[in-house]
Amino acid sequence: MQLNKVGIGLIAFFGLAGTAFAIVPILVGAPGEVAGILASIGVIWVLVAGGLYWYAKHQEKKAVHNDWIFRQGLRGTATVLSAGSHAEVNEMPLMSLRLELDVPGQGTREVKRREIMPVFAASRMEPGLVLPAYVNPEDPDDFVLVW
Amino acid sequence: MSDVQSAYGELAAARALEQLPSFSPGQLTPLLVEGKGEALEPALRGTLGEGVEGVVGQLAYTRNKTFRFQVTLTQVPAATAFAPRVFCIRRGRSTRDDEFYGFETRHSKLWTESTALNERYEIATSPYQDPNWLRQLFSPGFVDWLGTKPPADFSFELAYGALLGSIEAGDPGAEDLAALCEATAHVATRVREECEE
Repeated sequence: MQLNKVGIGLIAFFGLAGTAFAIVPILVGAPGEVAGILASIGVIWVLVAGGLYWYAKHQEKKAVHNDWIFRQGLRGTATVLSAGSHAEVNEMPLMSLRLELDVPGQGTREVKRREIMPVFAASRMEPGLVLPAYVNPEDPDDFVLVW
Repeated sequence: MSDVQSAYGELAAARALEQLPSFSPGQLTPLLVEGKGEALEPALRGTLGEGVEGVVGQLAYTRNKTFRFQVTLTQVPAATAFAPRVFCIRRGRSTRDDEFYGFETRHSKLWTESTALNERYEIATSPYQDPNWLRQLFSPGFVDWLGTKPPADFSFELAYGALLGSIEAGDPGAEDLAALCEATAHVATRVREECEE
């Protein structure tokens, strides 16, 4: 996943508006109860912005790591054994995949992977589908599934 | 008979295409996903361009407001092995009016040296693809063609072998539909050629 323009706008909105809610009532001398309620809302919004920012950074870091595996990793294949979804994130299915990972020099083994995929990609994940995979040469459990 | 149906009737007669009551393509590409599985109606099946078979039809759906696209769908299965996803979308195109999600699946923006192409389209591919193959696909000749020849509102989406060409005209004439068919056929032929290289 990656942050898009809407995401940047959401982080900016919740961060700035939350800060304003928390600080402005105090600065203008609003009654204590009102200032407290607005400050609570403000803090929650700032936390939301912080959470979104953390998630975006986490995804960015993961992407950098995956790029490294793609460049330096061992190329193999992953055959879909089963695929299903019981949840959605932003209208995209969270796919639970059971895969047979086949990497030259490492043999084959069964692995599980969860991926958020657009509907048009998720609908292609059927048993027997063979996808490219790149495996971290230092950690066979760390791999990138190309879909 | 509406103007759209007349245009499709005219196209069917001119190109000997089979008229279908409707056609359900499935959610094969991002635009078809936005359409929430709506069928294409009207729809025609047959030869889109030289050696390229497919379906042309109208996709209409509502996402706060109603969107209408004329689309052509054909298959290039061999492309999946080289680039599962290649999207070449007209800059500024809107396909929904109700999206407020801050995160999307990761994609890579394809950089080309053509200013005309970059100004006209946003090109994105799935990550971890062979950059050499993509560079060869977007050869100077193909880049020049994309920048100058297709209809002004043309876009295409290649997803797991399904190629969807589209224009934004809600009230197209038969000549607009013919141009869409030709443009999609040209893209399909180009992708096929590069797969065979």
